[in-house]
Amino acid sequence: MGRKRIIDYLMALVIVISLNFFLPRLLPGDPLLSIYGEDALITMTPEAKVELTRRMGLDKPLWEQFFNYLSGIVKGDLGYSYYFQGPVLDLLLGALPWTLLLTGLALIISTLIGFILGVESGWRKGRLADQGLLTGFMFLNGFPDLVIGLFLLLLFGVVLGLFPLGGAMTPYSQLTGVSLLLDVLHHLFLPLSALVLTEIASCYLLTRTTVVTLLEEPFILTARAKGIKPKNIRYRHVGRNSLLPIVTRTGVRLGRLFTGALFIETIFAYPGMGLLIYRAILGRDFPLIQGVFFLVAVVILLINFFVELIYPRIDPRVKNNAY
Amino acid sequence: MAFLFFLIGRGAFVRNRLTTFLLILIFSLFIFSACNSNPQVYTIADTTGDWGFPAPFTHYNRGPGYVRMSLIFDTLLWKDETGNLVGALAKDWEYIEEEKAFIFQLRPGVKWHDGEYFTASDVVFTFSYLKKHPYSWVDTGVVKEVVALNDEEVKVYLEKDYAPFIVNVAGTMPILPEHIYQNIDNPLEYTEEDALIGTGPFKLVDYNKEQGTYLYERNDNYYLGQPKVERLRFIKLNEQMIPQAILRGEVNAGPVPPEMIDTFKEKGYTVLISDYNWNAKLKFNLRQEPFSDLRFRQAIAYGIDREKLVNISQRGHGLEGNPGFIPPDSPWYYPEVEQYEYNPEKARELLKEMGYGGETLKLELLTSARFSSDAELIKNDLEKIGISLEIRVLDDKTVDARTQEWAFQMVLSGHGGLGGDPQFVNNMVLGDSFHSARYHSNQELKELLEKQLTIIDVSERKEVLAQIQKLYAEDLPALTLYYPNSYQVRDNQVNLYYTLGGLASGIPVPLNKLSFIE
Repeated sequence: MGRKRIIDYLMALVIVISLNFFLPRLLPGDPLLSIYGEDALITMTPEAKVELTRRMGLDKPLWEQFFNYLSGIVKGDLGYSYYFQGPVLDLLLGALPWTLLLTGLALIISTLIGFILGVESGWRKGRLADQGLLTGFMFLNGFPDLVIGLFLLLLFGVVLGLFPLGGAMTPYSQLTGVSLLLDVLHHLFLPLSALVLTEIASCYLLTRTTVVTLLEEPFILTARAKGIKPKNIRYRHVGRNSLLPIVTRTGVRLGRLFTGALFIETIFAYPGMGLLIYRAILGRDFPLIQGVFFLVAVVILLINFFVELIYPRIDPRVKNNAY
Repeated sequence: MAFLFFLIGRGAFVRNRLTTFLLILIFSLFIFSACNSNPQVYTIADTTGDWGFPAPFTHYNRGPGYVRMSLIFDTLLWKDETGNLVGALAKDWEYIEEEKAFIFQLRPGVKWHDGEYFTASDVVFTFSYLKKHPYSWVDTGVVKEVVALNDEEVKVYLEKDYAPFIVNVAGTMPILPEHIYQNIDNPLEYTEEDALIGTGPFKLVDYNKEQGTYLYERNDNYYLGQPKVERLRFIKLNEQMIPQAILRGEVNAGPVPPEMIDTFKEKGYTVLISDYNWNAKLKFNLRQEPFSDLRFRQAIAYGIDREKLVNISQRGHGLEGNPGFIPPDSPWYYPEVEQYEYNPEKARELLKEMGYGGETLKLELLTSARFSSDAELIKNDLEKIGISLEIRVLDDKTVDARTQEWAFQMVLSGHGGLGGDPQFVNNMVLGDSFHSARYHSNQELKELLEKQLTIIDVSERKEVLAQIQKLYAEDLPALTLYYPNSYQVRDNQVNLYYTLGGLASGIPVPLNKLSFIE
């Protein structure tokens, strides 16, 4: 990783920060109206409107708003949300743990299962197990998370009554310790399953294709000829070599961690960043939009950076530019 | 479970232990599904959940945010079920016309939640505090001076006779405790516990922003009587799950889709029907031909079957629009205005009179996705009177922005606020927001509108409003198409209701704190 790469990253960050400020302001619609609601505006006097515009800093010229935004970022201050009437940072930190719990776990589980099933399926190419898995996942791949989520909720929540109808924990149940943990897991189960089922298919399909191609490589034949146990060939040789596209894919998915679960959050009334972003955009809450996308952009840049670092460790050929 | 074996892939011992652990975990999850319902807790479901920290300056600027605050803070006056103002912190009031002043007799012996006595100086303080820190729900601009005559009497002098004061200020402004708020310089960012000391029937126990939940406990010393429920809880649920949660008894009240109301009625639940505080409205670009011609607007009114709109696009859950604008369930409604019954023949005649015989007139209707089925129905109707409508569906914020800039021919959109003080008619005719028709060409209408704000006497004001509605229906600055219904369902533990005309300045939420008082 040379100095040039780091400069590239810094440039990307600067561009992202600027776009982040100007793009939301190009959206049609008056923030004052979105925040206070049409009903409040119907009764609001012109003087009150002026006062509220001033309070939100929207009367200042654009360059001054931009300067305040930049100096805020440098100081680690992401601003103050108009709609939620609180510091943006607090809002993000409040929603983040729930999002990470849900989407983070979903990513880990779906990647692990997808990868393992992909390797096993590819290894058994053409046999019944492979055909069954392939058909099943192709089928599953066609469903959006919304449909799977609703189906799970209707079957296990409404019809069978095994799981709660929404939320991340039983409100005001006064549970503590293990029973609180179980309560959280109980609420997590359905939304998590929905996300895992949605994401698992693409990971599986990707791994399986890679494995099938790899199995025809000469080094696999060599390994077999050396008498290495099939299980070791499967994971040490084929598995490791098929990791590269999975790492890339996981990196891309990581960037979507924050925003990817909007529908699941809505269906299960689960707290998290998806809904926060949705409401911020709907409400033209500029500081919050900026804060959220700033966080997302920084995380994506960091992930890219780490993926680039990890690549040569998984596959030294990348470093030697053999690819 | 097979995949887990691949994961471990070593000896049977580890494998078994892990399987056992997982089985126990999954089993306990299933066991745990029993819900904990406490009869002492009254639970209300909401689809949004979080409406902000329920202090006056920190709740979000939407009706439900105000309502959550109103459980803790009282106003001078408050509306009962029928929309009549009854005493809250003030037990009586009168208007002295010569002085343009209201005198409020305060209720003696009322205590704040922290045990301090409530006095007239708290009321005086609240007015002066709101001048310094504007509260978006109450405009105190018309108040000239507030004087405490003694501990139990407050006199409010107004700049001018101003009828909306009684509902929009006295009936909406939460009274703040002077001994707390005098030390709070930035109430917008102040969310300490003492910001929630009010005189209301409930006290907040917990608010969770992320989960969108609130828990209140009753104020045993409430001056109007002890609230019926010990605890009041708000939880967040997806719209489709609320009916199920009500049927299971996990929730006592919540919004339900129109399709479900018959089921609930059969099972003995009470279905609450909202009043008509919202309207879908057809707006014309009055700066352009042919819309600036009165005959054209009347032709459109005759040419659209409003009843069909209600029956098809709203599936019957609504009421046909009144050309006089004010909804028929409002106490200010005047029925004797031109009704424009569907009459395509008459519409064609009017257009012919204007010179539009023969060739079809091509016009554009701007609207957003939620009105697209209405727009299609209107297109069909107008085709019959020789107008070919091109429908453009845009994002609603874009529609609003274009309306504001007069960059449209006709717009189909909607707005609420029809429940409160009839000041809204002024804002929707003369105001400069995009919801307003911005119609200034009828001098008589303009004068009547300005006059109605200055009449404190209700029956006298009604007479002026009758004239206003008559003129509005004749001139049609805009055409109200329908008022939709929305529904809430509750069990029969607490008598929740929609307050007629909306809570406070007109909030259409069926959660009047008086429901909880015997």
